[in-house]
Amino acid sequence: MSGFWKTMTAAALLLLSALPAQAGDKIRELVIFSRPQAANPQEFQSIQLIAQEWRKLGLDIKIEVLPWEQMSTVVWDQRNDWDITGWQMVGRPERGDPDELTYNLFHSSTAAEGYNFVGYNNPAYDEIATAQRAETDPEKRRQLIFTAQEIIAGDQPIINLVHQRLAYAFNQTVWDKASVVDQAGIGIKNFWTFIGLRPLGAQHDIILNAADNVTAINPLYISGPVDSWITELIWDRLLRVGADGLPHPWAAESYAWVDPTTIDVVLRPDLKWHDGTPVTRDDVIFSFTAPQGDKVPMYKPFVGNIAGIAPVGDRGLRFTLKKPSAAFLTATLSKVNIIPEKVWAPEFAKLEGQEKTAESVQEAMPLGSGPYRFVRWTTNEEVVLEANPDHFAAPHAARWILRSVPNTEAALGMLKSGEINFLADYAGDPRVLQDLVAANPDLDMVLTTDLGFRFLGLNERRGPFDDPAFRRALSTAVDRRLIVGAAFNGFAVPANSVVSPVLAFWHNPAVDAMETGTDRAQQILAAAGYTLVDGKLHYPGDRAETVKP
Amino acid sequence: MVLGRHARGLRLAAGKAGQLLFVAWAIASLLFLIFRLMPGNPLAAFIDPSFTAEQRVSLSRQFGLDRPLFEQYLLYLWNLAQFELGQSFFYRQPVADLVLGVFPNTLLLTLTALLLAYGVGLAGGALVAWRRGGWAEKLILPLVLILRAAPEFWLGMILLAIFSFSLGWLPAGGTAVAGATSVGFFERVLSIEFLRHLCLPAMTLALYLVGLPLLLMRSTMLEVLDEDFVTLARMQGFREWTVVVHHAARNALLPVVTAFALGIGYSIGGNVVIETVFSWPGLGRLLVRAVQSHDYPLAQGAFLLIALVMVTMNLVADLLYRWLDPRVAHVA
Repeated sequence: MSGFWKTMTAAALLLLSALPAQAGDKIRELVIFSRPQAANPQEFQSIQLIAQEWRKLGLDIKIEVLPWEQMSTVVWDQRNDWDITGWQMVGRPERGDPDELTYNLFHSSTAAEGYNFVGYNNPAYDEIATAQRAETDPEKRRQLIFTAQEIIAGDQPIINLVHQRLAYAFNQTVWDKASVVDQAGIGIKNFWTFIGLRPLGAQHDIILNAADNVTAINPLYISGPVDSWITELIWDRLLRVGADGLPHPWAAESYAWVDPTTIDVVLRPDLKWHDGTPVTRDDVIFSFTAPQGDKVPMYKPFVGNIAGIAPVGDRGLRFTLKKPSAAFLTATLSKVNIIPEKVWAPEFAKLEGQEKTAESVQEAMPLGSGPYRFVRWTTNEEVVLEANPDHFAAPHAARWILRSVPNTEAALGMLKSGEINFLADYAGDPRVLQDLVAANPDLDMVLTTDLGFRFLGLNERRGPFDDPAFRRALSTAVDRRLIVGAAFNGFAVPANSVVSPVLAFWHNPAVDAMETGTDRAQQILAAAGYTLVDGKLHYPGDRAETVKP
Repeated sequence: MVLGRHARGLRLAAGKAGQLLFVAWAIASLLFLIFRLMPGNPLAAFIDPSFTAEQRVSLSRQFGLDRPLFEQYLLYLWNLAQFELGQSFFYRQPVADLVLGVFPNTLLLTLTALLLAYGVGLAGGALVAWRRGGWAEKLILPLVLILRAAPEFWLGMILLAIFSFSLGWLPAGGTAVAGATSVGFFERVLSIEFLRHLCLPAMTLALYLVGLPLLLMRSTMLEVLDEDFVTLARMQGFREWTVVVHHAARNALLPVVTAFALGIGYSIGGNVVIETVFSWPGLGRLLVRAVQSHDYPLAQGAFLLIALVMVTMNLVADLLYRWLDPRVAHVA
C-alpha cells in the first residue's frame, strides 16, 4: 500500500472513532399514568414536574390521566401494556416490618400476578429477599435488609419519590397532650393513642372523624382502612406492633423462638370476652386455624405458614411453622384477630356448602376481648365503642365515637367548634390545618413522616425500562426537593428506599445520599450508549424499539 | 254506563301498570349495562401486596363476575323479578337492607325541603304576581334566580360557615349529637336534636328548590289574574285578598302540584352534594361510594329505587292532575 493510501485509511479510521457511537432506534413516546388532579393533586403535580425533567433528556413524554379504577385495571391485568405509572403504598402498622415491602414488591415470584407489577427480575435480589424471610436473628436480618435496599437503589426498579408528612390534630384542652402517642410512620391516629388518651375535663369521649364510610365490622374481613381502626380496638391479638414499629407482647404475655420454625407463646391469665366469659386457649387455636380453610380468604395468606398449634403447659401454645419466617411476629401474630369460637364455629357451619365467606357475616353485636366494646353502628353516620374496664390495658377515655364526615372543610370546622375533638382523617392541605391550629390555641397538630411512600412504577417487561442504566438515569433526573416543595407544599421528605427512614432499625442510611440532576442523568445515559440525534434520545446502537404504538 | 266506566278505569289502570313494568325493565337493563361498561372493575379495590391471584379468582367467583355477561344479566333479571337485589360487594350485606336503611333519612330531608320550598314558593309567587312590577318582584326574582344558579355545595358551605362555625347555633353534620343514645325511629326523628341537625341541609336544599315553584306560581297567577272569572269576582265586590287567595291562587295551583310530585323524584336522586356537605347519612352518599368502587349490586339497587320513586311520582302527578282538573280525564 502506498503512503497515500496508508494515510487515507488512518484518517478514515480516526474519523470513524471520532463519530458518536452508532445510534439505535429512536425511543418511542413514553406514557405516564397519573390519577386526576381532583383525586390526587400531589401525584398529578409531581408527574408534571417529572415529565419536564425527562423531556430535557430528549425523551417524548405523554401524561395520561386516568381514575384509579381504570389505571389499576391496566397496570394489574394488562401487564405488558403500559410504560410508567404513579402509585403509592400506604403506611400500616404491620408494614413496620420490612418483609412485605421488600419481598412482595420485588421478588420475581410475584411478577406474574402479584404486587411486583413492574416485573422486576433479579436473581441476586430474590436470594436476599428470600433469605431475610427465614432469618430470625434480628441483627443478621437487618444486614440482609440493608443489602436489599442497596440493590434496589442501584437497580431502581421503581422510582421512589417522597414519604409524605401526615398531619393530625386534636383538642389539647380536652386531651392531655402527654398522653398522645406518635407511632413511627403512622402518626398520632393509632391504637396506642386511643387507649392512652387522658381526659383533662368533663369530656371523656374521643370523638373523631373519618371521610370514608364504615363498610363492615368483622374480625375476618379486611374491609377498609377506617374499618381496621375499629377492629383493632374491639379484638385483641397475641402481639401488637408498638409505637416503635416493632412487635410487642399483648394478649400473649411473652413469646420465644425455640428454633427457626417453632415459637412458643404464653397467654395472659386475665383475658375475657366482652360478655364476661374467659378467652380460652381453644379460642386462640380456633382463631388461627379457621382462616386456613376457604371461608376467610383475606387472612388465609397470613396463616398459610402454620403447620400446627399445640397447647404447652398451663397457658402456653406452640406454633410450628412450615418454613422459617422472621415476619411471622408482625405479619401473623400481630395481625390475626382473636375471635370467640362459640360465636364463629356455628357461623362457619352455616357457611358450609355456600359461595359466601365469613366476610358476609355481620354480627349484630360484635364480640371481642379488646380494650373497647361495641355499642352501636349507624350506617354512614357513626360508630360508638365504649371502654372495657376489665381489660388489662383499659382505656382512660369513656367512649370512642367515630363520625362519618365526608366533607374535609366541615371536619376542620367541627374540630374548631368541638363537634369532634380528634382530627383522625385529613386529606386536605396540611398548611390550612397548620394555620387553623395556629389561630386556635385549644388545638394542637402533630406531623409524622409516613412509612408509606409515593413512587413511579416502570414496566420492566418493555424496553427501555429493562435496562437498569436507563432506569437509574430517569431516577437521577428527578428533582425530589422540587417535588416536595411544589407538589407537597413542603409536607414530605425525599425517598429513595421502600423502608422509610422512620423505621430507624431497618432503614439503610447509605441509600439516602442520592446524586441527582439532569447533567448526571445525561452522563449515565451516554455511558450506557444512549445517543441524542436531533435532540431526541435513541437506544444504544445494538438495540431496536420493540414496542409498537 | 256505570259498568262501562269501571271497565274503562280498569283498562286505564292495566295500561298504566304495563307501562310501569316496561319502564322498570328498561331502567334495570340500562343500569346493568352502564355499570359494566364503565372502565375498571370492582376487584381494583382489593389490590394489595398480600392479595394473591388465587384470592382474586375466588372473589371474582363470589361476585359472579366469572360468568358470561349474558348469564349475569339473566340472573340479575330473575333475581329482580323476585325482589332480590343481591349482596353489596363491599358491605357484604343485602342491598335492600342497606338502601332501605338510609332511605328514610333522604326522604325526610327531601320532603322537609320540598314542603318549605313550595310553601314559600307558592306564597311568594302569588305575592309577586299580585304586586307585579313592585319592589318585591324586583328583589325576589333576581334572588331566586341566583339561588337556583348557585352550586349547592357553595350555598351549603356558606350556611355552614355562618350558622355553624361562626355563630355556633346549629350542628355541622350528621342527624344526631355524637354518641346520642339510640331510640326508636319516630322518637328520633321527632326530637329537637334531629330537627336541629336537619335545619341546615333542609334549608340549603329548600333555597335551591324555591325558584321553581315561585316562578311557576308567578307566571300561572299572572295568566289566571287576567281571566274573566277573576274580573267577575272583583266586580262582585270581593275583597282583593279573597280574590287572590280563593279565586286566583287555587286555580293557579295545578302546574305547581305536578312540579311538586316530580320534584320528589328528582330531589331524591339529587341530594348527593348536600348529603356530602352536611355528612347526612342518606342514599346519595351510599350511591356515590357504590359507583366509585364499582359496587354493581349496590349501585343498581340504589338507582333502581330512585328510578322507581320517579316513575311512581310521575304516575301520581298524572292521577292528581286528573283529579284536580277533570277536563284532563275527559280529553284523555
